[in-house]
Amino acid sequence: MSARVSPLREPWVDGGKTLARITEDVCAPLERGPAPSWYWGLGASLTALLIGKIVVVHQIWTGIGTWGLNKTVGWSWDITNFVFWVGIGHAGTLISAILFLFRQKWRTSINRAAEAMTIFAVMCAGLFPLIHMGRPWLAYWVFPYPNELGPLWVNFRSPLLWDVFAISTYFIISATFWYVGLWPDLATVRDRSQGLRKKIFGVLSLGWDGSHRSWSRYETMYLLLAGLATPLVFSVHTIVSFDFATSVIPGWHTTIFPPYFVCGAIFSGFAMVMTLMIIARKVMRFEEYITLRHIDAMCKITLLTSMIVALAYGTELFMAWYSGNPYEQFAFLNRIYGPYRAGYALMVFCNVLVPQALWFKAVRRNPLWVFPISILINVGMWLERFVIITVSLHRDYLPSSWTMYYPTYVEIGTFLGSFGLFFTCFFLFCRFLPMIACSEVKAISTFAQENRETPRG
Amino acid sequence: MNSERDDIEAQDRRDLVRRGSFLKGMAASFAALSGGGCVFRPPEGKVVPLMEQPAGVFPGETLWYATTCGACTASCGALVKVRDGRPIKLEGNPEHPLSRGGLCARGQASVLDLYDSHRLRFPLLDGKEASWAALDAFVSERLNGVAVLSETIVSPTLRFAVERFLKKFPGSRLVEYDSLSASAILDAHARTHGVRTLPAYHLGKARVIVSFDADFLGSWISPVEFTKDWSPNRQPEREWDTMSWHAQFESRLSVTGANADLRVPLRPSEQYETLRQIGLAVASLVFWKGPKPPAGEPSSLNAAAVSDTAGQLARAAGRSLVLSGSPDAATQCLVNWINAMLGNYGETLVLDPAGLQKRGSETEFDRLLGDLEKGAVKGVVVLSGNPVYDHPKGAELAKFLDSAKLSLSLSGRPDETAVRCRAVAPDHHPLESWSDAEAVSGVLSLSQPAIAPLYSTRAAIESLSLWAGEPMSALDALRGRWKKSVLPGADFERRWHEALRKGVVLSDVKNPKNLRFDGRVLERLSPNPLRSAEGGFELSAYASPVLGDGRQANNPWLQETPDPISKTAWGNYASFSPEDAAKLGIVEGRVVRLSAGAASIELPAQIQKGHARGVVSAALGYGRTHAGPVAANFPVQKMLPVEREELSGADLFPLTAYSSVRVESTGRMSAPAKTQTYDEMSDPITGRRRPMVQETTLQDYFKDATSGRGKAMEVGPSLWPAHDYPGPKWAMAIDLNVCTGCSSCVVACGLENNVPVVGKAEVRKSRDMHWMRIDRYYNENGETAFQPMLCQHCDNAPCETVCPVLATLHSSEGMNMQVYNRCVGTRYCANNCPYKVRRFNWFDYAHEDLTQNLALNPDITVRTRGVMEKCSFCVQRVQSAKADARAENRAVTDGEVRPACAQSCPADAIVFGDLNDPKSAVAKKLGDPRSYAVLSELGVGPSVFYMTKVRNKKV
Repeated sequence: MSARVSPLREPWVDGGKTLARITEDVCAPLERGPAPSWYWGLGASLTALLIGKIVVVHQIWTGIGTWGLNKTVGWSWDITNFVFWVGIGHAGTLISAILFLFRQKWRTSINRAAEAMTIFAVMCAGLFPLIHMGRPWLAYWVFPYPNELGPLWVNFRSPLLWDVFAISTYFIISATFWYVGLWPDLATVRDRSQGLRKKIFGVLSLGWDGSHRSWSRYETMYLLLAGLATPLVFSVHTIVSFDFATSVIPGWHTTIFPPYFVCGAIFSGFAMVMTLMIIARKVMRFEEYITLRHIDAMCKITLLTSMIVALAYGTELFMAWYSGNPYEQFAFLNRIYGPYRAGYALMVFCNVLVPQALWFKAVRRNPLWVFPISILINVGMWLERFVIITVSLHRDYLPSSWTMYYPTYVEIGTFLGSFGLFFTCFFLFCRFLPMIACSEVKAISTFAQENRETPRG
Repeated sequence: MNSERDDIEAQDRRDLVRRGSFLKGMAASFAALSGGGCVFRPPEGKVVPLMEQPAGVFPGETLWYATTCGACTASCGALVKVRDGRPIKLEGNPEHPLSRGGLCARGQASVLDLYDSHRLRFPLLDGKEASWAALDAFVSERLNGVAVLSETIVSPTLRFAVERFLKKFPGSRLVEYDSLSASAILDAHARTHGVRTLPAYHLGKARVIVSFDADFLGSWISPVEFTKDWSPNRQPEREWDTMSWHAQFESRLSVTGANADLRVPLRPSEQYETLRQIGLAVASLVFWKGPKPPAGEPSSLNAAAVSDTAGQLARAAGRSLVLSGSPDAATQCLVNWINAMLGNYGETLVLDPAGLQKRGSETEFDRLLGDLEKGAVKGVVVLSGNPVYDHPKGAELAKFLDSAKLSLSLSGRPDETAVRCRAVAPDHHPLESWSDAEAVSGVLSLSQPAIAPLYSTRAAIESLSLWAGEPMSALDALRGRWKKSVLPGADFERRWHEALRKGVVLSDVKNPKNLRFDGRVLERLSPNPLRSAEGGFELSAYASPVLGDGRQANNPWLQETPDPISKTAWGNYASFSPEDAAKLGIVEGRVVRLSAGAASIELPAQIQKGHARGVVSAALGYGRTHAGPVAANFPVQKMLPVEREELSGADLFPLTAYSSVRVESTGRMSAPAKTQTYDEMSDPITGRRRPMVQETTLQDYFKDATSGRGKAMEVGPSLWPAHDYPGPKWAMAIDLNVCTGCSSCVVACGLENNVPVVGKAEVRKSRDMHWMRIDRYYNENGETAFQPMLCQHCDNAPCETVCPVLATLHSSEGMNMQVYNRCVGTRYCANNCPYKVRRFNWFDYAHEDLTQNLALNPDITVRTRGVMEKCSFCVQRVQSAKADARAENRAVTDGEVRPACAQSCPADAIVFGDLNDPKSAVAKKLGDPRSYAVLSELGVGPSVFYMTKVRNKKV
């Protein structure tokens, strides 16, 4: 064995694969016919999407009254889902941009899928602010477009407007970053295919020729885009948290929200990446690319963010007590002892207690353990947003307006539909695009490391 | 005016529902196809201008006419607002000496009754449409030996017409009854003073008011007048004893009791003995030598409350007043005895000139039933009222209506009585008729039509005079009578027009009789005739301030306005004390069966603080079978998934024949439609009291006028630059001390601002749309406080900063404005409102009843679904006052702008004006040490101020 590879550090790709073998493996799902399980999965996703579509059309046709909202609780599942999906997206950007800048080589096996997940999650997230409007057909009014309505402009003081910019920027940058990263692999698929597929991939790969000049320019651009995407990991969820932090509602009006939300987003995002990857590596037979060591690494980040989130929960409680503000104190006590206390308890269980199992290597390296943990974390993080949004609203300042909120089938159906949209996109992605960044994985494979020419110095 | 009617009829003929749904379907399919650009437009039609402009009518100009409110026999003075030939709002007439500008919720809402599409549109014979000629022919043959049954006739002209009618047909007689009977008070005065009359009460002169189950601020006799009397004495001044002391002994928590300084829960059966004990204590204090009443059932009396009350009464002899709502004449005799001992007659209550609001007699009603049984009376003409529904013996009467030679109703609605009558000669709505009213001797007010009759109806005066063979128009009858007895002498025309303009005339009562109390009756009183049944619950049936006796049960506004105490809308419920509820093992919403004799009803239970033990109370006026679709609780909104309930509430009247009922749980649940679901001032977890209602006692207030204000939290500096108000800065002050919770403002606001009604299922989901609501809280002592809550028009409004499209903004006059057509409906503003006063249009709240749409205020946009709305401080009134002032080249004067809530308030609790004018009433209120702003610690800078509640706890 070569001395260039540390004997202490295990390789990130198993099986001592040759470069050709990697290409074969990554392209295999595109080239072989889809398995029946893929059809079943896509069918289930499309069904969920259809259910979502039906209830959303019903809601837009009849009115927001089909939801369970009322005069006191003006947002609930809609914005909970919005924040949930935006949060999911964050892991993808973190993996593809920040870990890239930090030269974390293990990211290469999962970054493509994680980025795709980001884009699909942001699409799901963007749906909710649109349909939660009373008059969604006027949604374009939130953009500061030139108009002939006199001095009518948007309100730049509104955090909701900041959201519009944050989410649209996030979507554009993520999509660009993802697409640029795909070029070499699209070209690989092009070169291996015939007929229509060759044409489509030929257009998509923008005439990639694999020359040194192309690679050099490409890598510079990728680095720049990574630099551009990095602040978004922090800014997007910071701005989402401003929706709440800049308000006057006890339980919302909290300065801790920006870091708390960003960490929560990464926490939930990694949980979602793990959920998807554990299934994908099995179904797509990528166990040798997405190894248990990858899962181990992601578990460590999850454990870290879980503890930051736990610290945030504790800080919130402490600050409520320390502030001496009776409204805020009540808001937090109401989370713990109020009518929605089960939600709060489950949130703490899922987000704080369950991830503690990840201290153990045996757990981290066993997908049968990690998979349920990742699901529970997603449940917990959804509940966190529900607790923050709904439980703060339903009992705020004047007790006369206190009331309860219960979701209707329309809200549940819409949430289901957003999962339908997400998984439909993801299933199509798995089938039609290389799910693993082929060219990047090659660079870190044992074969490449061993056959690298030593630069002359 | 006739074209108006044609229009409505033409509109009715069209199948609008189908067209509306079609348009919505089109719009929605476009929305689904294109994903945007969906705009709902009204259907197009042709508008043809009038060829000749009617004299004195300018399109868009508001005309006001003085008239009399016809919603109950209290006959408050009213001004009717007419726009383009349509009455659209009723407001109190400030010149009326009794109501003084106030108007209750029912009076406000009565304009909607005019446009009720469930009214009768033509006469009926045997249930079928008939011509007036056919009806008159049918009726005229059968008029001998009939009884005219009516609720108390307050119109002297109508009474005159009835008398003439009776003279024409020998053997006929008039029987008056009252659905909310005061018969016992009249009977008691017949026994103690020798004259069967209701006194005229002067609560304003009373320093001490002790009331036994008389809900005089809510529904008893003349609540607006009494509130106007009561409220000025509730202003604490910094000298001693300017504030009255008010004690309430009652079986359930009423609006009046909620405002009392001393409140003692008392079973109806304990009233006699309690009054006797107070009477004996007063007797010893004022050295009464006369006869004394015999003892009643011994009961567990609150001895301290009795002696304190007696002491307060005796100290305020001649300036005190004892009232009772008891239906028992013996109990009422004790009330008269105490008032007589204290020398209150002639001071705080007067028998001549007398109160004429209630003249009904239960004995006369019973005698009528007896005569019908014997066949001595051959027919019944129901002139007004709905006795089949609203009299406990209505079912017996209904039997005779089916079989009598003549059963005729003059009701304008197909109500429970009318549908049992062979003939119905529908009367006009009060807003369509010429009439007058004398609610207290010597106070005569006029009613004039504000619109031509919408349907083929005929004034009762005209019907009666026609049948009596002397046909006469109502106007001629009215003028003839006024010329003779009200405005005799020269210059009648000028004085008549003056009276019409003012709406009211005062005439002196000639030679008032000095009636003396005769105490001999006391010894013969049969003590405590209302025995409580073994093992049963005593029944306390009451009229809620909102729905009264139920005659307006088809009025969606009244049904949707929550009861001021329970905050429950759309239906009645059986209230129990928490102890009794625990004993019975029932929870709120559990359906219980109340039964007595053959009568049995089912109602959801409600657990009520301050309720007397051993008593079950429930509101009258609900459960009407023939009031119309609203009372039957059909979906208000066709598109809503509404769980059908057959009737809104249950009819309590048959049970009122009994003084006690059996109570059993049915095991079923029926959630009440509550607009407020948490009742306490303190939160349920820490038990800490929240400072939205700040209150103190009179003693503490004298020591420190700012007492009870609590220490406000520090407000940090604002990030936003302050607003500049170069012109006026509108603000409102609300006095918590006099707000009685009557909810008149809630209805007034809804009518003024076209606020939608959403129905029972939606209220259950906490989606009531009221811009003005009245929060009702209980403090740690179980005392009640009412707090009107509306948009606070904050200077640093949290809603304004969060709207992404600038649909809510700040005006240069300090108002927070909502731009409906800019709103996209994110609801962020509502979430960020600490007062939760913003209301979202969850659906397209249907305006499918085109007749009812005539009551919409044309100054206000009707909002589409998906937009936010809220109190605007009645900006349309501000703008119109400014336009008037500009036209006259002057500034807007203080008090010229009165939002609908402030205008309607019978207690004058709401003051509105310009804070930049240091001489304005509202600026003075702000300077009062009692003034505070709710949640001022948030730094939002509200423009609405509240005055601390001061409780006169002398005892």
